Amino acid sequence: MTTTKMHPPTNTPKNTRIRSRSLWSSVLPLLKRQEVGLLGVILLLGLAVSLANSRFLTSGNLFNLLQTVVVVGIIAVGQTFVLIAKEIDLSVGSVLALAGVSGGAMYANGVNPWISMGFGIGVGAFCGLLVGSVVVFGKVNSFIVTLGMLSIARGATQLVTGGLPQEMPKELQFIGQGRIAGGLPISVLIFIVFVIIGQMVLTRTVFGLRVTAVGDNAQAARTGGIPVARTRILTFVLIGTLAGVAGMIFSTQVGVAEAQAGTGYELDVIAAAVIGGASLSGGRGSIIGAFLGACLLGLLRNSFILLALSPFLQQLSIGLVIVLAALFDQWRQGNIGRFRFRLRLRSRRPA
Amino acid sequence: MADNSTVATAPLPTALEVVGMAKSFGAVRALRDVNLSFESGKVTGLLGENGAGKSTLIRLCSGEMQPDEGQLLVDGQLISFRSPLEATQHGIVVVHQEPMLVGELNVADNLFLYQLGERPAYSRAARAENVKKARVLVAALGMSDYMPDPSVLANRLSAASRQMVDIVRALSRKPKVLFLDEPNSSLTHVESERLFQVVDRLRSEGVAVVFVSHRLAEVYEIADDIVVLRDGSFIASGSLTEISQSRAVALMAGERKSAVAREVAADRVIDAETAVGLELKGLTGDGFADVSFAVHEGEIVGMSGLVGAGRTEIAEGVIGLRTVTGGVIEVAGHPVRVADPGAAQRHGISFVAEERRTEVFHAQSVGYNLTVRVLSRLGHLGWVSARRVNARSGELSKRFAIKAASVDAPITSLSGGNQQKVVLARALATNPKVLILDEPTRGVDVGTKAEIYAMLRDLAHIQGLAVLFISSELEEVIELADRIVVVRGGRVVRDAPNNEGPRPIVAAAMGVTEGYG
Repeated sequence: MTTTKMHPPTNTPKNTRIRSRSLWSSVLPLLKRQEVGLLGVILLLGLAVSLANSRFLTSGNLFNLLQTVVVVGIIAVGQTFVLIAKEIDLSVGSVLALAGVSGGAMYANGVNPWISMGFGIGVGAFCGLLVGSVVVFGKVNSFIVTLGMLSIARGATQLVTGGLPQEMPKELQFIGQGRIAGGLPISVLIFIVFVIIGQMVLTRTVFGLRVTAVGDNAQAARTGGIPVARTRILTFVLIGTLAGVAGMIFSTQVGVAEAQAGTGYELDVIAAAVIGGASLSGGRGSIIGAFLGACLLGLLRNSFILLALSPFLQQLSIGLVIVLAALFDQWRQGNIGRFRFRLRLRSRRPA
Repeated sequence: MADNSTVATAPLPTALEVVGMAKSFGAVRALRDVNLSFESGKVTGLLGENGAGKSTLIRLCSGEMQPDEGQLLVDGQLISFRSPLEATQHGIVVVHQEPMLVGELNVADNLFLYQLGERPAYSRAARAENVKKARVLVAALGMSDYMPDPSVLANRLSAASRQMVDIVRALSRKPKVLFLDEPNSSLTHVESERLFQVVDRLRSEGVAVVFVSHRLAEVYEIADDIVVLRDGSFIASGSLTEISQSRAVALMAGERKSAVAREVAADRVIDAETAVGLELKGLTGDGFADVSFAVHEGEIVGMSGLVGAGRTEIAEGVIGLRTVTGGVIEVAGHPVRVADPGAAQRHGISFVAEERRTEVFHAQSVGYNLTVRVLSRLGHLGWVSARRVNARSGELSKRFAIKAASVDAPITSLSGGNQQKVVLARALATNPKVLILDEPTRGVDVGTKAEIYAMLRDLAHIQGLAVLFISSELEEVIELADRIVVVRGGRVVRDAPNNEGPRPIVAAAMGVTEGYG
């Protein structure tokens, strides 16, 4: 089997200098990770805001902040999978609303509240299945298919409700409004559980690792015997399901499911995933990153309110953060130092 | 060749002269110190195997590439082209194997494409005018019967019609030197005949025509002179009588490795007793027909043939990447149904595709690349054990001597040869009975090449795998294979032990059947 050549242990005291260097070289790649950079930005920003307004660093405010990002954050978990598979889903805001009103309509017709909720989430999953099937079997770009679904689901929502809000079951309102000991909102707890499971599915399951393979190199995945079509469809079912869950949380937060819920959320969701390090060219992304990305977006909104700054400035700064995050992502991959080098070379050339 | 420097009124002046031309791509020397001259009013057949340097020579002459060394003389004038347009202006025109047409423009616009920038506006009237001009041009060239109407969109044309449009476009530029790079590979016999009439007329008009084709018989039908290249070097030139067809085949193949080949073949005893690893019986599908051959356990079979002969298509059919419409695939004596590459893997067939660059998962680690095909075996209930992934990839990288900082290092940090080894190791991670490789050493250096050969020999001869590999390098096939299957036009035209040297293989691949020697 294997050769049993033994090497003498190298941990002798005179190696300490080398070891400290290797410590640094093992820390540097960690610092270059998108998640670590993001965490640093969040902490710095949090520190700055807390100096300006003492109310920021209270558990009440922080929990509120988290509660505002739960809906976008849960869908961003799914969007990260979709982006890693080199697809995109623009329909999530509408699917969220459709899932909410479907659940509400079931309850209004006398169905058990828990089954109503399950039905709503199922509607979300079904939307994902439809999108995935058209993308895979119809070979239509997912940008187009989900752009269509964005409109279809919103239209279906209006049809179901006739434009009127649907009342959500009282029994379920604890999901959106309840808190456990210490004031932690239940919805935030659900969000964190989804993030942890999501990160584990991405990095430690056959499905998650196959999603990475499909997005990184679909051709090689196909020749390697990976079921590319099934993996792609499942990815859309996943984000549809999560949009359904987010729809339930959104509706129970407000107490009613409205037809206009989640309008425009798709952009926040994509922003959170991209800030978290997901690449639109596929193969790369992190669920923890998407979580932090969603938190950063929430933090920006929260701090602009606390500091009483102009909402226009808020929108502008969120746009800046998205572009800066993407630039940081390129820098840490080493795609932009070379450019600067080339410019310098050119300017040195004698005229 | 005629020495026309002393004879002022030579009847056949040199139209294009190539002096000391050399070109390298990285470590590969595609062309080395080639000296040639092409005379007006003569048709030269340019012969050579895949990779002999024919296409590189044409690209250098037509300004598509710049040579590393050497010069071009057009009508005795030293000249260097910075672009194909400049070459065209000096009368050097190329008809490519793959016609380069703009699909969304009509035939007339494609014919006058190079004038597009010379006009301030491109109105409807101008386009209609173009169609009229195109009809006149086609009629003047006597090509009307074989050309589609100039108002048809190029997208709608058949492969043969597209080729004809490209040829007419070349003729319309009034070439002094016309390169035809496999112009008739997509033409029918009648269309080829027509093309040869055109070539005849060009010859009488004093154009130097350079004709590249893998159909030797046709080259000998139309050419006056023959030039043979091999491995980027000039080998021979002469008239048709000086270089016969069989001699051309011998010159193209060279005298390589036949002694070594016999030795390698001798140390393997494959007979009727040996179990069959992979057997194809009448396999038919998109791009190949009635393919039957066997790969025994412990045997290395090389699949040879020209590019486009259908070798990759056969391999893709076997592993379920391409639709198979008839025939049987048997693994270890049992017929198997291969619906997709996953099914092929479950039946013990593993595949290594051609291009390393397109085969690795670029954004992932070495370990991920090694284990991606066997994820479901490294855990249970859909979960993957990180510990087992690490152990497995560590074991694989040790077994295949992959030089990486660690299995967590990004795959892009590895050298090309080591990436190739990762691709190989990944295919073997599934513990296959049959290993199929498409160009296993393309783009790797000599040292890694030798390592990969040793690895494949070990897998077959010691561990008893049935190994089938496709290669365009004749030298590689002869060095590595125990038996050689030659494919031509999607069919197996030769299946014999590797002990007769390169000539019969080249002859079979080119479709030459008469005696060689």
